[in-house]
Amino acid sequence: MLGYIFKRLLIAIPLVFGVLTLTFFIIRLAPGDPAAFFIQPGISPNVAEQIRAQYGLNDPVPVQYVKWLANVLQGDFGRSFSRAQQPVFDVIADALPITMTIALLTLVANFTFGILIGVISAIRQNTFLDRFLTVTALFFYSMPEFWFALMMIILFALKFPLFPASGLNEIGAENFGPIGFVLDRFWHLVLPVTVLSINGAAGIARYVRGSMLEVIRQDYIRTARAKGLPEKIVIFKHALRNALLPVITLMGSSLPFIFSGALFIEVIFAFPGMGRVTVEAIFARDYPLIIANTFISGSLIVLGNLFADVLYAVVDPRIKL
Amino acid sequence: MIVLTENGTKRAASVYRFAAHLLIALLVFTLSSCGHHKGGHENTGNRGRAMDSTLVIAMLGDADYLNPVLGSTVTSGNIIGLIYPSLLQSEFDTTTGLVNYIALEKKLRAVTPGQGKKTPKGALAKSWRMSEDHKSITYVLRKDAFWNDGKPVVSGDFKFSYQLYGNPVIASARQQYLAELIGADKGNVDFDKAIETPDDTTLVFRFYKPVPEYLALFHTSLTPLPAHHWKAVNPDEFRHSALNLNPLGSGPYTLKSWHQQQEIVLASNRKSNLPKAGTIPQITFRVVPDYTVRLAQLQTGAVDVVENIKPEDFIALLRANRQLEVKTVGLRVYDYVGWSNIDHEEYRKSGRVKPHPLFGSAQVRLALTCAIDREAIIDGYLKEYGVICNTDISPSLKWAYNDRIVPHAFNPTKASALLRAEGWLLGSDGILQKNGRKFSFVLYTNSGNARRNYASVIIQQNLRSIGIDCKLDVQESNVFFENLQQRKLDAWLAGWSIGLEIDPLDVWGSDLNKSRFNFTGYQNPRIDRLCELAKQKMDPIGTRPYWLEYQEILHKDQPITFLYWMKETQGFSKRIEGAELNISGTFYNIDDWRLRPSANVAL
Repeated sequence: MLGYIFKRLLIAIPLVFGVLTLTFFIIRLAPGDPAAFFIQPGISPNVAEQIRAQYGLNDPVPVQYVKWLANVLQGDFGRSFSRAQQPVFDVIADALPITMTIALLTLVANFTFGILIGVISAIRQNTFLDRFLTVTALFFYSMPEFWFALMMIILFALKFPLFPASGLNEIGAENFGPIGFVLDRFWHLVLPVTVLSINGAAGIARYVRGSMLEVIRQDYIRTARAKGLPEKIVIFKHALRNALLPVITLMGSSLPFIFSGALFIEVIFAFPGMGRVTVEAIFARDYPLIIANTFISGSLIVLGNLFADVLYAVVDPRIKL
Repeated sequence: MIVLTENGTKRAASVYRFAAHLLIALLVFTLSSCGHHKGGHENTGNRGRAMDSTLVIAMLGDADYLNPVLGSTVTSGNIIGLIYPSLLQSEFDTTTGLVNYIALEKKLRAVTPGQGKKTPKGALAKSWRMSEDHKSITYVLRKDAFWNDGKPVVSGDFKFSYQLYGNPVIASARQQYLAELIGADKGNVDFDKAIETPDDTTLVFRFYKPVPEYLALFHTSLTPLPAHHWKAVNPDEFRHSALNLNPLGSGPYTLKSWHQQQEIVLASNRKSNLPKAGTIPQITFRVVPDYTVRLAQLQTGAVDVVENIKPEDFIALLRANRQLEVKTVGLRVYDYVGWSNIDHEEYRKSGRVKPHPLFGSAQVRLALTCAIDREAIIDGYLKEYGVICNTDISPSLKWAYNDRIVPHAFNPTKASALLRAEGWLLGSDGILQKNGRKFSFVLYTNSGNARRNYASVIIQQNLRSIGIDCKLDVQESNVFFENLQQRKLDAWLAGWSIGLEIDPLDVWGSDLNKSRFNFTGYQNPRIDRLCELAKQKMDPIGTRPYWLEYQEILHKDQPITFLYWMKETQGFSKRIEGAELNISGTFYNIDDWRLRPSANVAL
């Protein structure tokens, strides 16, 4: 298996590199100018020119590419145009912990509730409970996140002011002491994580229900029951483990989400996470930051897929890598 | 696969019905809660004690730099103004529309009664003297001004800072302020001659040409940086120096913390005598990118000030929380429909100026203005916060505004007659035609602006009713702006925010290479001449006749259809007292604001 992983990683290098090269040219050929902000009345026409010179945008694109390549091979992705010329990885390092906190909490909630609801729906198939869960899950699954988030804010921040509408901490939270600070942070995370996980759990529940139903009909389940095993063991040990195979694909593809962030939630709840970094970089034509983001999300998609494949082999002995 | 028995189907149907009812009930409940919230009083109890001494201002995006040489956004400007000292205080006089400049012991103009709320104590300059020939200005600085590290503010700080403002490597957005200094006419300011500092309290600026006093004051009062603090920073590293994150100023507030993209916290600067320590102990600027959430935060009392509230949200907001009020300020911003006066394609290809086939004639442009129901857009969207716009000189600039101009009224019949006289006749398809060309074009606007979307739909309907086919297209702002600059658009809906000094040559100047913002290609030598004449006058009041004529010409030529001026509308919590809004900025006297509960909080 190690050989397989190594081979996949080797293949990933040109792949990610190709994605970066493509991004490099696409964003430079797309309309828009990183110095556009400085073209306005009252600002000397020289400024936009000087800014472009600073960013190295006056060279022909192939020359820019060669320079960029030389830097990237040394691990230097450059400085952000739009964020006070911070090194791009500093910008990302600021945003990543916030995104990861939300994403990890969400993923745990997603899979826990998703699997639980899915299993209940499947073993209680066609009962009132199953249909209620199915309809509710479909309802939430098809609901746009941004709308749902706004409704939650109206309900739980305006109508019943239980949770804050946005931000990471209360004003003056730094004086609450370390425990108070963390509790305050969690209190601020309740609404966004709920929105994200209700939406996600509903989707996972649908997958789990489907695959569980298929597994329950298999002969080996009948055999297990015939052996006289208790229903709990049949369901959780024999059926669930097999039903979870497709869920592993979902887990693999969730990996980029942990790092790339959930844009709408970040905008609505005012979290400075990766989603906002990426989108604001695109609007500002902040080329180095766009490329660094592409690098991270591209690498993670490749790694996520590899991770899922390896997990398959781990949980299902029939699959050989 | 799910197999349903007959019984099961019935049961399923009833379950779905139940679920549907539940969801509808939930929705109705959720939506009805929007309008009936009586918050305000009960929320103030929930707020932490910290809120009592903290003013919270919501902002759309983070500040870019808290460095006066580099900061270029409005937010940055607001915060820099609180952290750093300024050479002069400036104040917009609402009775005349002129900007007054104030030093400790001198004012540019006598203050009209009811004005002059700004204390001169914030100024670093004691007084100034303009030379007879208007080619130099000498400031006397006060001796009791100190940076927060205890070092005095000296004239050398200004010379040092102006060299930074003028350094092409640093690329400050304020280079234009140096445009009259000696050497600027030859491309490089000669700082040795242009700025002299014979001693620590004397500061002399020298110009290569005579400069009106108000302009000299405006251009020489850029915010200084402490030279001793920044001396060691190489210009190459200026933009990413760590000192940018820890500004050393001497104004009424100091930076307490800056969590990028989250919040900026300022604390009252007890050491400050410029003019004094800020009255409110702490001011937090919070980034809240989503408009709906900013409104919700204002409603719950989590923030105290939200700028640019849409008129359509006022009623619900004020009903939901009676502790809020809407303050307005203006008029500085207008929207317009741009018509390409010249044939852009021809101009791009050969550089030749030829009238645009549709909009080349002033009579056609006048017809378009008459055909657009500007009042309907104001009534439908801006309500009492909008005013018909005739030209780009704001009614707020009273000294220059021409109030004898009668707006072109909405009159489709007149519009049709004007177009007929120009040879545009109705075709069989109901669209106007002339020499085989249909009167059909695309009106572009930038995305994400609800007001402009609203206006563009009304314009489309208005034009359609007189036989003009106007298609609408919305472009991403960056793309829209680039197309505008490259003269690729025939008609567009956009807006300008005007400066407080009138200098319109960039927008209307006939030299299309030099006038960077003359997107329409409008050319009228008389306008060029009037701008030139105005620049030669040393006193702004003397330029009034030129600006009156200028407005008449624009009103006649209709290079664009001016739509409406907008008041900026800001939501305020009533716990803020003493807030005076001024056209020069919402936060213009923020160091004097008080928070009602904070009266008992000791500094």
